[in-house]
Amino acid sequence: MGGQDGLPYFIFHTNGIMLQGTLIYGFVNSVILALLALGFNLTFGISGVANFAYGALYILSAYTAWMLLTWLKFNYFLSIVLAVLFTSFVGGLIYRFILLRVRGMPISEVIASFGIGLAILEFFRFLGFVGSEYTLPVFIDGSVSLGETYIDIQRLLIVGIGVVLVFFLWLFTHYTKTGLAFRGMAQEERTALVLGINSDKMATFSLAFGSGLAGVAAITILPLGQVAIEGGYSALLNALAVCIVGGLGSTGGVLVASVLIGFAQTFTATYIGSHWMMIVSLVAILVILVVKPSGLFGKQKELEERI
Amino acid sequence: MKRVGFLCFVLLAFLICFPIGSQAQLKAGDPVIIGVPTYLGSIEGGESLKAVQMAADEINAKGGITIKGAKHLIKIEASEIRDGAPGVPVPEALLGIEKIILDKKVHAIVVGPFRSEALLATMDLLAKYKVPMLGTIAMTPVSEAKIIENPEKYKYVFRTCLTARYFVNLLTGVMTQLNKEFGFKKAYLMNQDVLWARGTVAGLKTWYEKSGWEVTGGDEYPTGASDFSSGLMKAKAKEAQLLFTCFDMSQSGILVKQYKSMKVPALMAGFISPMAGEVGWKTFDGQIGGVLNAIFELGNIPSDKHPPAKAFYDAYKKKYKDPLQSGHGPAPAYESVYVLKEAIERAGTIEPDALVAAIKQTDRQGVMGRVKFDKGNQVVYGTDLSKEAVAVMFQWSEAGERRIVYPSALAEKKIWAPEWVLKPGK
Repeated sequence: MGGQDGLPYFIFHTNGIMLQGTLIYGFVNSVILALLALGFNLTFGISGVANFAYGALYILSAYTAWMLLTWLKFNYFLSIVLAVLFTSFVGGLIYRFILLRVRGMPISEVIASFGIGLAILEFFRFLGFVGSEYTLPVFIDGSVSLGETYIDIQRLLIVGIGVVLVFFLWLFTHYTKTGLAFRGMAQEERTALVLGINSDKMATFSLAFGSGLAGVAAITILPLGQVAIEGGYSALLNALAVCIVGGLGSTGGVLVASVLIGFAQTFTATYIGSHWMMIVSLVAILVILVVKPSGLFGKQKELEERI
Repeated sequence: MKRVGFLCFVLLAFLICFPIGSQAQLKAGDPVIIGVPTYLGSIEGGESLKAVQMAADEINAKGGITIKGAKHLIKIEASEIRDGAPGVPVPEALLGIEKIILDKKVHAIVVGPFRSEALLATMDLLAKYKVPMLGTIAMTPVSEAKIIENPEKYKYVFRTCLTARYFVNLLTGVMTQLNKEFGFKKAYLMNQDVLWARGTVAGLKTWYEKSGWEVTGGDEYPTGASDFSSGLMKAKAKEAQLLFTCFDMSQSGILVKQYKSMKVPALMAGFISPMAGEVGWKTFDGQIGGVLNAIFELGNIPSDKHPPAKAFYDAYKKKYKDPLQSGHGPAPAYESVYVLKEAIERAGTIEPDALVAAIKQTDRQGVMGRVKFDKGNQVVYGTDLSKEAVAVMFQWSEAGERRIVYPSALAEKKIWAPEWVLKPGK
């Protein structure tokens, strides 16, 4: 006993494989959560609007890509680019024609955007977008082995796209005129106005940009499964959970919260029970609201940071 | 003021004592109203409604239902109750059902709740308003136990679809065959955390233990879960030969894709709703060869060995220009309309008590086989079409065809196991 074929070796070996797999899938799960939350967070950070239509825009993008690909027989790459641009455009329109009128009234913003989201999602249901045929192809088919863990290439691409997106966002907000205007708005809107930054225009851009990021998340993540209306609601919930834990408006907070929640969910599923996985983010929200209501890196409730 | 209060009290007492039930008498030209309150947003619910409409159109084309010599057309009233959607509470579904009973004055309900949890709560509502229902989706056997325990109260509740109990019977037949053919005896169980799936897994687990199988582990996933890597890793690490799956949510498609990408060397068998229809091959990019999936009621898949099932499947495809995607719901929904028609004609009335007595006497050959109710108002399922209704297990071929492999009387092909399952690592 105890040799290569013995029970202790088997248990140790098996546990090692499980740990390795959990770490790999935990990391992928973290990146998926970060991708889901980046757009929501960016919009809130700049315009102060909590865009509750975010989940619907996520699904809108996927269905648009599917329609272009399946009905109009467009090239896949062209379909996803057009879908993301269309989603951005719709996001901009939502701000320009609806949210602008209630801007500064947080409750009204939430109700209006949530209502729009419901309308979009349920409209798809009304049109009959229910069933197994609504799938997007993976970018590259197949899987690779990392140590003893197999993982599909699409998940590796998600990690790559997530990292590139974060780097792109950093470059954009530090080295482009629009990006700097975004940061100006995020820091102090009235001062930004004094400097000639059109706050309504920037808020429209921020909604469009955030919606576009929802689109990027959708066309990257949804090829892993199916496009379903319910996915819109869960995308919004996940984005909210990450943003609340990380601190609304804080990109660093989103990244840290994604890692915390992502790993916590995967470890819970592996070592405690899969059915507890879904409540991890809810518990995280509860804990953070009790301990630090502004989130790990959030500043919107800390008055001293405003002065 | 006191007088108004008293009148209100009398009115309320009257309503409680004599609830507004279905209208017991039909005038000439009045339609028979059939309610279809269910989760219409699901594939199963949406397609079941279409199957109901198809049956109603067929009956109406022949003049409708004959009651004491007079013809009455069937009118369908559908209602979205969303009981299968994540986070929708049972009381919301109940409100939807109560609304269709009171507002649309339905004479009977078919299809009914999607979730078993909602079905159990609906039973009291049906008893209160005396509305017969032929359920075709919710699968918990608990409802039968309630009917047997209190037959007078719950006599209005019937079910024509498969239940978790009969699903376990189907599975044990398949498992016995897998054990005989390939020597499989280690299973890992993955299921959705809902009543019918939990019931199925509990029943199957008991059978595994009695039959010398080893259950290497199991995972329950809440509705909406979208990452199954942990369960698949455990199944692989514990060297399961069979991966039993039991899911009716759209996200379960992710499980199938993850199962393939993680190269789990175990044969997947059970029920995953997105994999049931012929469109499943395209959904999963043609990577599901060898996977076994149940079809809960014959007719939801065609069979050359039972022409009525093929006729129904083809007629649906012709009428709606799309093939059925559900493995559960449409065939019994279609059958239920005919069961109802025949029962109304036998009873000569739509009066609820007479109607349920007539439904109870049903004995017909239809798309699913023979339809007969047991003492729990449940259609009896088995493997012999001449004696019972039949559920089947099919297997995806490498060419993307669904081939029935169980029961043997309907089998189109012998059950097989892919090489990567029989010789893992090669």
